[in-house]
Amino acid sequence: MESQTHKTHRPSNKAEKKTKGKGKGKQSGFNEKAFAPKSGRRAEREGRRNVEREQTRLHVPLVDRTPDDIPPPVIVAIVGPSGVGKTTLLKSLVRRYSKQTLQEAKGPITVVSGKKRRLTFIECNNDLNSMIDIGKVADLVLLMIDGSYGFEMDAFEFLNILQAHGFPKVIGVLTHLDLIKKQSTLKSTKKTIKKRFWTEIYQGAKLFYLSGVLNGRYPDNEILNLTRFISVMKFRPLIFRNSHPYLLADRIEDLTPRETIRASRGKCDRTVTLYGYLRGTNLRQSSKVHIPGVGDMSITSVNVLGDPCPLPDADSEKRRKLSEKKKLLVHAPMSDVGGVMYDKDAVWINVPGNFTRGATDVPRGEGEQMVMNLQDVDVTLADTVSRSQIKLLGSSSMPLTVEPHDDEDSESLADDAEEDEERMDDSEEDDLSDGDEAEGTSEEELDLGSDSGRGDQGRTSSRRVTRPIAGPSEKERSGGDIAFADSDSELGEGDEEWHNRGNSPPLDLEDDVGDVSDENDGDGEEEDMPVGPAWKENLSAKAAAAFAEHARRKRRKDWMASIYSSNLTPSQIVNGERECSREEDPSDADDFFRPKGASERKDDELDRTKEILSLESLREWENESTLDSLRSAFITGDHAPADGVTAEGEDGSEAGDFEDLEADESSPQQPPQDAEAARAAELAAKKAELKRKFDEQYDDPEAAKMDFYDEKKEEINRQLQINRDEFEGINAEARVLVEGYRPGSYVRIELSNVPCEMIEHFDPHYPIIVGGLLPSEERFGYLQVRIKRHRWFTKTLKTNDPLTFSLGWRRFQTVPIYSLDDHSIRMRMLKYTPEHMHCYATFYGPVSLPNTGFCAFNSFDGETSMFRVSATGVVLDVDRSTKIVKKLKLTGVPFKIFKNTAFIKDMFNSALEVAKFEGAHIRTVSGIRGQVKKALSKPDGAFRATFEDKVLMSDIIFLRAWYSIQPRKFYNPVTSLLLSDKGRWSGMRLTGEVRKEQGLKTPLAVNSAYKPIERAPRRFNALKVSKKLQAALPYASKPRAMKPQRKKTYMERRTVVMEPEEKKAIALMQQIRALRKDQVARRREKQSERKAAHRKKVEKEEAKRADKEKEKRKDIMRVAGLKSKREMEAEEGRPRKKRKT
Amino acid sequence: MASVISYSGHQYLRQRLVLSILSGKPVRIDKIRSEHENPGLTDYEVSLLRLLEKVTNGTVIEISVTGTAVLLKPGVITGGSVTHDCPLSRAIGYFLEPLVMLGPFSKKPFYLTLRGITTDQDDLSADLIRTVTLPHLQLFGISEGLELRIKSRGAPPGGGGEVQFLCPVVKQVKTLNFVESGKIKRIRGIAHAVRVSPQFSNRMIDAARSVLNRYIPDIYLYSDVYKGEESGKSPGYALSLLAESTTSAVHCAEAVSQPGGTPEDVALLASRALLSEIRQGGCVDRKHQCLVLLMMVLGSEDVGRCRMGEPTVRTVQFLRDIRDFFGTSFKIVPANPSDPSCAELMYSCYGTGYVNVNRTLA
Repeated sequence: MESQTHKTHRPSNKAEKKTKGKGKGKQSGFNEKAFAPKSGRRAEREGRRNVEREQTRLHVPLVDRTPDDIPPPVIVAIVGPSGVGKTTLLKSLVRRYSKQTLQEAKGPITVVSGKKRRLTFIECNNDLNSMIDIGKVADLVLLMIDGSYGFEMDAFEFLNILQAHGFPKVIGVLTHLDLIKKQSTLKSTKKTIKKRFWTEIYQGAKLFYLSGVLNGRYPDNEILNLTRFISVMKFRPLIFRNSHPYLLADRIEDLTPRETIRASRGKCDRTVTLYGYLRGTNLRQSSKVHIPGVGDMSITSVNVLGDPCPLPDADSEKRRKLSEKKKLLVHAPMSDVGGVMYDKDAVWINVPGNFTRGATDVPRGEGEQMVMNLQDVDVTLADTVSRSQIKLLGSSSMPLTVEPHDDEDSESLADDAEEDEERMDDSEEDDLSDGDEAEGTSEEELDLGSDSGRGDQGRTSSRRVTRPIAGPSEKERSGGDIAFADSDSELGEGDEEWHNRGNSPPLDLEDDVGDVSDENDGDGEEEDMPVGPAWKENLSAKAAAAFAEHARRKRRKDWMASIYSSNLTPSQIVNGERECSREEDPSDADDFFRPKGASERKDDELDRTKEILSLESLREWENESTLDSLRSAFITGDHAPADGVTAEGEDGSEAGDFEDLEADESSPQQPPQDAEAARAAELAAKKAELKRKFDEQYDDPEAAKMDFYDEKKEEINRQLQINRDEFEGINAEARVLVEGYRPGSYVRIELSNVPCEMIEHFDPHYPIIVGGLLPSEERFGYLQVRIKRHRWFTKTLKTNDPLTFSLGWRRFQTVPIYSLDDHSIRMRMLKYTPEHMHCYATFYGPVSLPNTGFCAFNSFDGETSMFRVSATGVVLDVDRSTKIVKKLKLTGVPFKIFKNTAFIKDMFNSALEVAKFEGAHIRTVSGIRGQVKKALSKPDGAFRATFEDKVLMSDIIFLRAWYSIQPRKFYNPVTSLLLSDKGRWSGMRLTGEVRKEQGLKTPLAVNSAYKPIERAPRRFNALKVSKKLQAALPYASKPRAMKPQRKKTYMERRTVVMEPEEKKAIALMQQIRALRKDQVARRREKQSERKAAHRKKVEKEEAKRADKEKEKRKDIMRVAGLKSKREMEAEEGRPRKKRKT
Repeated sequence: MASVISYSGHQYLRQRLVLSILSGKPVRIDKIRSEHENPGLTDYEVSLLRLLEKVTNGTVIEISVTGTAVLLKPGVITGGSVTHDCPLSRAIGYFLEPLVMLGPFSKKPFYLTLRGITTDQDDLSADLIRTVTLPHLQLFGISEGLELRIKSRGAPPGGGGEVQFLCPVVKQVKTLNFVESGKIKRIRGIAHAVRVSPQFSNRMIDAARSVLNRYIPDIYLYSDVYKGEESGKSPGYALSLLAESTTSAVHCAEAVSQPGGTPEDVALLASRALLSEIRQGGCVDRKHQCLVLLMMVLGSEDVGRCRMGEPTVRTVQFLRDIRDFFGTSFKIVPANPSDPSCAELMYSCYGTGYVNVNRTLA
């Protein structure tokens, strides 16, 4: 910038752009020349690349069944090792969305994140069972990684679990980066972790860096960025979740009557309600559910509740941004949001400060006031009821009275309580008896009243109160009043509506109900009348009238009600009889009871598909007009008879009659303008359709043509539109009947016979999932799966060793048998899984759909340093039997040999066994093949066999057979949620493990010990080839083995006489050789000496180096020890904020 | 494990067995003709149970000593090659109908050979199953390799017919949206005569044409004469008719020879029955309501819709049984609320997302 005293005016960027654009005449979007390809090759390459890129965009079109209008909250799971900052992140995120700081973040927390989106955050603890469950429901995973440490084994295990159960979206979050001081180290750490993360997920997976913790939270702008990413996240439907309903319970209540719990000392099965948003597909009431960690259960009832965390409604929708008020909404029953905490069986209101009843100077909220008013009650409910003047009927002369007959009950209760007091000093009993004494009444229902006895003393924190005996249901109701109120009323209304619907036609008909039934009765009689001899007169009119009547009557029938909610027999329904006693017992409708008379009457009826045809019943078709009335059903007939354009010609008048009749029928029921309006609407629809077609063809005939991909997508969308529209009008009750409970609704599921441990050992840190089961998944059978041992799992897997599978919703231990396909002939058992190959495994367990992924574990133990995912795979087949075989070799020895026949013994024990194997192939070790012929009588189990050659007495004969094996019917569900220490589940163990734990030695059978094998040297007979055969053989095949020559050869026989110089020369040669030998010997000796000296030297050096090494290692350890000691001291000094999860 | 569903009475036995096998829920049926002079299961019912045992694996069928109660614990449908001799008390249609429902959901493609009576008074004849029932399955995407071969015909009482039923395996059936019944565009028919004069079939054709010709010219009635071994053991003749609409909705009717009757009577009966079937309206004829409704329930988790006439007695009970086994109900409303004369109903349901569990991968 040049130096000047006054700045000249600088035009804004916008203005500049404008003028620029105008000046250069750059009107069109971009400069075409600039993007024109310079070379043909490049253009071709570019084009190809574009096409390829286009292809990567395509995915298999999947139906997304989450409803558009009110989708369930997206589940965002925060996963990571303990101490990595999961809770901090959760709190930061919740604060970002709801402006509330949670003291304790437990269980799922639902917040509104946008106009169309809600999020449910859940923190996943470091337990493998929780990770599996969370992996099955999470839509988005925030995978937290300690940047200063790097990846831990758990993260990889978790990713493998995700992979097996459909991969949800994963965002990596790197924390503790502030612990890395050096900038270059930080950079390289980020890089390496990113690289690893990308190879695990996909290239370019999002990884977030969170720097440090400020005020117990992550920096606000970093969290803001993270939430932006979360809010734009798109989710691809996962197949398993798109075919199963499920629910992540955010609240659990125990509805079991207190008395039964007390009577059974808390060991009785419980009735439990679970609350949560429904996800996946529609939940039908009749379907079973599985709670991972607990077991299979059948639903007692389902209620749709008001949404506790609703999306912004229509008026706030008008705004561009989410209003601030909506932002405050957070639904986290297991945490302590706003001082309200839903415990497992109670609702706690946390009042900060010292709360005393007397202190009136402190301003109180409405809720507190209300609670205190409740505490002031001095009369029991029973008293109020007895004093009340409720009349049952308007005409009743006496009000309802309450007989005070429950005195003795409560007395005995109190007695019980006192007895119990001595045994177990439980606060519950204490309270109960206290309350009773204080009040002096026999009332057990007002728990708040009993509280008031103690309320005077005041308390600062929420006390661990257990409720009095008969409280739960009442309290539950009062506690969850807001939630229940509307649903209850809905129920009532729904019932009423249902019956109304049953009585009156579903359409807008003004006729009285009574009228209809009367008419119907009359009709029935008329119809039942046999066609008399006078049937011929005025047939057409009769037929037309009958037809119209028939049609009208049918139209008035509410088929749904009569089929599904009445107990009429099917023939009664079809013949149009009305049920007179429908009102008296509608609950009975489900049962299939028939009056005895009716069943007897139909007893002889055959189960036939075709009706019996008789000329009599079809006589009406002899009539011309009846025949003509059907003309319109054919393409040759006139088009729309309703239009008034009736058929001309000879039967015109009759047809006209018919039309008139029909019109007469319809007019009183239906206001004419209604029909006209309908007609108009129909016409409009027709026109619109025509216009659309014309537009399509006129505008761009090519545009209408879609490629396969778009066509499929369009098809899916069309079906979804139908799904939305079809049940739009009908009322909620009927809708539930037809399509079940839709995803996105907040429901309360009641389950009975839940193991008490689930409630007793409830811990909100462990997720509770209710997974709906398909009808087929309730069954058991043998599953054949394709399995591969995980390459990071260090041991091989062995057949018949227990393995814990996570398959579908379930986690269970079972005993698989591994096998491989042996040339497509048989399934052959494998003792061990192959090293780097898939194999089959077959096990007994609950049926899962083919193509469902699973992962398997050997143990859930959190202490091991091993990789715990032992295998992964996919379900291939479900059956009730298996075809796995293993090889069985039966051996025997010959005891008598004929030419090609031999008698074999020691293979079988009886002639019966031999008979079973007659004709079986046998073989000697040397490879001579043969066949089992027939059993011999004398030694038991001996048999005659023929071979292709003569066998030897020393040969071992064996028979290769296949023995089929069945996997053991062992199924052991992982009931981790029922344990008090949830990480400590262990199923069936191996004998070796049990022995190891108990310190037992493996018993050693004497025969199993290995001993040196002594084998007698085997003597082979010489090969004899008969002279005759030898003579016949060609020369090349003649045996070469000749007898050793007995006569000495010439060379041996001759005597050598040497010349003197020859002798001398030989002697010299001998001497030289001797000398040389000596020299070599001496040299070798010298060399060995030298070698020994060298070895000594090297050894000395080696020892020196080892010493140095040892010293160095000692140094390192000392420094490390000092460091850890310092750290420990520091930790003791200031308690670190690392939460243990 | 799964709770047993109980029924009483011998009626609707077939559909209950089918639903039980498809849903996997055990079913107990008691009081089977307990008050009858011939109590217990009849021979053809027992034969059907045996046949179901043959086409499944792991099915447990317990029949009480008196034969008045049956417990069926279903296994998996295996299919494959199965041969069954049907008793002469019922036609092959009685056995084939439930198997048509099970066929698409088996492990291996069905190759079923049934011997017995091919055409009789009570059950769908082999002709109708071939020309009408199987095209109904095609609505649900089950078409490739679906076939019924009539090897030889057998008229009652002697029987001696043989049919082969081939059915492919599907993963999931398609959702049906069949709301346009269209207008009848063609009529087809098969007139067959075994061990009687071949002229009989021509006489039937002529008589049927006399009724149907007034409506539409596109009528082809085939005369199907089986000779020698292929014609079974007893004489008989029958006419089966089907009317196909522009949207390929099919209505059918059939009449079988009666002792002492003439071929013309049979033809008149059949053609009039066809006309009354057409008058019922809808996209599916009354004999196939159950099949279509079942396949709709077994469809993917989408809304399936079908326009049909009023339910028959069998259909009403079938709808109730479906609710027991699959927990789903149909929405049944008049198809055309603005037109009071229209007796047709719109059946719509939300499919259960039934996936063929038995199918083998790889």
